Amino acid sequence: MAKTMSKKQVQIRHSRHNMDYILLTVVLFLIAFGLLMIYSTSSYEAGEKMGDSAFYLKNQLKSTILGFFALAFMIKFPYKYLQKFDLIAVVVSAILLLLVLTPLGVTRNGARRWLDFKIISFQPAEVAKIGVIIYLASIIQKLEGLGKNIIRTPKGVAIVMVPPTIIAGLIYIITRNMSSAIIVMGIAVAMLFVAVPDYKWFFALAAAAGAVVFAVVMYASNADTTGSGFRLARVSAWLNPEAYSTDKAFQTLQALYAIGSGGIWGKGLGQSMQKLGFLPEAQNDMIFSIICEELGFFGAMAIILLFVILIWSCMVIANKAVDRFGSLLVVGVMSHYAIQVILNIAVVTNTIPNTGITLPFISYGGTATLFLLTEIGIVLNVSKSCK
Amino acid sequence: MKLAVMMLIILLAFAGLGARLYVLTRDNRNDYQKKILSHLDYNSKTLPFKRGSILDANGTILATSEKVYNVVLDCRVMLDDEKNEEPMLDALAQCFGLDRGELTKYVKENPTSQYYVLKKRIPYEEREVFEEYKKTYNEQARQNNVKASEEERVGIINHGIWFEEEYIRRYPNNTLACDVIGFTGTDNNGQFGLEEYYNDVLNGTNGREYGYLNDDAILERTTVAAMDGYTLVSTIDANIQAIVEKYIKQFNDEHMNEAREGLGAFDIGFIIMDCNNGNILSMASYPNYDLNNPKDLSMYYTEQQIKQMEEEDTYYKTLNELWRNFCISDTYEPGSTAKALTLATGLETGRIVGNETYECGGGLNVQDRDISCNVLSGHGTLDVSGSLEQSCNVAFMKMGEAIGAKNLLEFEKIFNIGLKTNIDLAGEARTASLVFNESTMGPVELATSSFGQGFNVTMIEMATAFSSVINGGYYYEPHVVSKIINSNGDTVKNIEPRVLKQTISSTTSEQMRQYLYAAVAQGTGRSARPAGYAIGGKTGTAEKVPRDKKHYVVSFIGFAPADDPQIVAYCVINEPNVADQPHATYATGIIKNVLTEVLPYLHITRTEEMTIAEQEELDNLLGNIVASDSQNKDGQDGDNADKDNPDADAEGGDGGDGQDADGKENEGEDRADGGGKPFYVVDPETGELIDPVTGEKAEMDYHYEGGDSEGGEGGDAQDADGAAPAEDGGT
Repeated sequence: MAKTMSKKQVQIRHSRHNMDYILLTVVLFLIAFGLLMIYSTSSYEAGEKMGDSAFYLKNQLKSTILGFFALAFMIKFPYKYLQKFDLIAVVVSAILLLLVLTPLGVTRNGARRWLDFKIISFQPAEVAKIGVIIYLASIIQKLEGLGKNIIRTPKGVAIVMVPPTIIAGLIYIITRNMSSAIIVMGIAVAMLFVAVPDYKWFFALAAAAGAVVFAVVMYASNADTTGSGFRLARVSAWLNPEAYSTDKAFQTLQALYAIGSGGIWGKGLGQSMQKLGFLPEAQNDMIFSIICEELGFFGAMAIILLFVILIWSCMVIANKAVDRFGSLLVVGVMSHYAIQVILNIAVVTNTIPNTGITLPFISYGGTATLFLLTEIGIVLNVSKSCK
Repeated sequence: MKLAVMMLIILLAFAGLGARLYVLTRDNRNDYQKKILSHLDYNSKTLPFKRGSILDANGTILATSEKVYNVVLDCRVMLDDEKNEEPMLDALAQCFGLDRGELTKYVKENPTSQYYVLKKRIPYEEREVFEEYKKTYNEQARQNNVKASEEERVGIINHGIWFEEEYIRRYPNNTLACDVIGFTGTDNNGQFGLEEYYNDVLNGTNGREYGYLNDDAILERTTVAAMDGYTLVSTIDANIQAIVEKYIKQFNDEHMNEAREGLGAFDIGFIIMDCNNGNILSMASYPNYDLNNPKDLSMYYTEQQIKQMEEEDTYYKTLNELWRNFCISDTYEPGSTAKALTLATGLETGRIVGNETYECGGGLNVQDRDISCNVLSGHGTLDVSGSLEQSCNVAFMKMGEAIGAKNLLEFEKIFNIGLKTNIDLAGEARTASLVFNESTMGPVELATSSFGQGFNVTMIEMATAFSSVINGGYYYEPHVVSKIINSNGDTVKNIEPRVLKQTISSTTSEQMRQYLYAAVAQGTGRSARPAGYAIGGKTGTAEKVPRDKKHYVVSFIGFAPADDPQIVAYCVINEPNVADQPHATYATGIIKNVLTEVLPYLHITRTEEMTIAEQEELDNLLGNIVASDSQNKDGQDGDNADKDNPDADAEGGDGGDGQDADGKENEGEDRADGGGKPFYVVDPETGELIDPVTGEKAEMDYHYEGGDSEGGEGGDAQDADGAAPAEDGGT
């Protein structure tokens, strides 16, 4: 008994004192605010369709409570053990993704993205994100342990980047969920970026990506989009939303109207008009536009600031982490949040084409909330053992 | 280090997005706000007013507006959620019996249609069925949806199906008093009769429901309730009206296709007027039409004929002729009924004192023209009373000569002949050009005018002028509406009787009553007298143009009772469908039948002895009336009353409706002491409609709450009013 006690004490020697409470507070605030906004945006439609205006709120509350259990567990669960699951995490992610093809996969809202295990159902893409983070953090740390520059060799890059690419490919091919694929690739690139001292490759990559985007935009703006795939149509709709106001750009345009009409101070909480059936499923991707409408530019900036604090806290924790693995884990989570928040707001403001990325902690979505909270638990766990 | 760079990139991205947000809100605020407001439903919705009802003197509804609903489908709203389509179309098919296949087709072809009227003018009960269905269905669906996953979720019935309110005009008595009431389509624009004359009074103001933006640009909805129109309480008594219509219809049926193809006469007009205040108690003409279906000609014409009319473009002309109110819109030469006015003029001007005698040889030569009398062999020597009794044209031509053109014309004006009476009905004819003036009246015209030929009148002109002749000389403006009340039953305006002028002195009037009484008692009007009553009156048989002695307007105008006139009754038959037209008996027959029923109804008691023959005739007539109402047999003696009363008790026990039992009892009593009483379309005690078949209170309860006691009071007041001038006349 005493033996085990002493052993544990060694492992978590910096506990209790250094856990990042600012981060926890920000997350709790975001979660509470998210629930409030979900109720505000969905109550009208839920009342209409389900006869229960709190329908979405209740669902979200369930996953949030489940998420808090996961959070509490991850705070207690020593993150170092996660390193043992690095390969398993990727393999399990891949298997779960493949399971979507089996009868276990279910279709909701017209997309086959869910796995239904009767007691629990979730999107394997969300699992894959956390799986990729664990894998990358572990493998980068291991490669660095083997030699300083091994990771910079083509072979090293391949070991780091191929599994995430495969996962992203599976996500895109099996679930037709491009946004999750982008996020997985984004996380991988970001973690690699932090891990290696090089810049030029990343600049080259950014330049290449920029060129591709430019080419696509040029093509889309000149080409006749009738008959071409819906992704290209989305690009066209993005470039000229007014022209596609009835179909492709309907949602985007309605979101823009919501943002624009909110002004600096907004219409007041609960006063959105766009949520009254004009902006369909406002509690999902487009929730940020309703925040803008109800709370104005001021409220939106306050939310952005909270995310900045969240990400900043992650950066601080990553910097202070006692080991490379913990630091990289936090970098992965941090880049996950950053990518999702930035892309979501960019979509809502029509800065980039509509891809269907949710706003962490605020948008409606059970699986996402559960795993986002799990990730926060990991970060907090890392923060406990910080220097 | 690299972490700091990444953080920098992230911060830059956030800064960029923040800037983008700021630009969006700054540049597009007004634009986008307008866009949002534009798809909000702040356009207004009209709330229709309810057009006022028309009640009879007892408060019975003659015309009323009923709220009905149009079923409207808004496909766009319905397809907010595609799952809604199925349950909603199912509901439509089930509740309104619509074709499911056609609905599906329509929705498929017009998914964005927002206003599609599926069914028009359904009553509230049908709407209720749907609302009930919707409620139960939605409750189930929601219970299911709370638990169900996305695929299992079922659609609901949302507000994509809604009901547009509308009022339609209903006339519970169909043809009753059609000429007086007139009709109104859904446009609330009355045509003919009271509906047209009082159109603005009957119509209210539409309400509105509209949204507007308050100072904080938040949508607020406001409802301005509709102002319902005012209700008219008319002086028409539905029962008297029904009696009158029954007998003119009977005349028509008797003489249908007799001498020529067609109805019993071209027109039959009948007016009963309270001579002491100008209230029109009944105004009817035949042919009549169904107010609920005014464009239906099938009562009088075959389908083929109607088709032909449509082809020849005479369809609407025919309808217009049917719709016009003969009693006020059509003019004719009055004939001998005008002799009452001539005589009154003579007496009032003093040109005739009453002791004159006239020699009739069957004709008179006026300015080289032979004008014959109605009896070609001549009447011999007649005094003044005898001239009226025999309706001698020669005597009246001589009277006219004595009176002189100037006086005759002056009194024509005093009697309002050639001027509108200003009765409150639409379509009164102007007769100014149809009467003579000083420059057009020569000796021949003077001679013919004195016995009622050569100039034209309307029935209402004659009836009103005649009223003043016998009521003591008071010329009352005739009117059909006694009171205007609002939708709560409060009185907005009382229309009091208006004495416009004194036409003749009360002494002359008294004299006239005696002469006219004699004209019925011993003269040509004999056949108009209902058994047991003393009435006065004058027949009329007017030659029509061309004067080929074939086409006549026969009429009778009379008053009852003879000593204390209460009502004036006037019947005009335009060319009765008989081989030999010039007999006023066609008109007096209708008068007699009507008065036999109406006078007891008005509580005017029989004062004259009845001969055995008359008694039998009366029994026969009343027996017929009673027998024609299925429930009543020869209700004469106590036996029958006894037999009816248990019946009434049983009814009361069944329905538990005290009122019914009461009504029955009353009837029983009346029968026991009054010797049989016909059924009325309206119960005179309660003002409720009576089902003609069962004699019970009619199913459709059009009874107007506020009108009952009001109507009763009005009636009392009329009686009281009526007494005063009559007493004056007596002095």
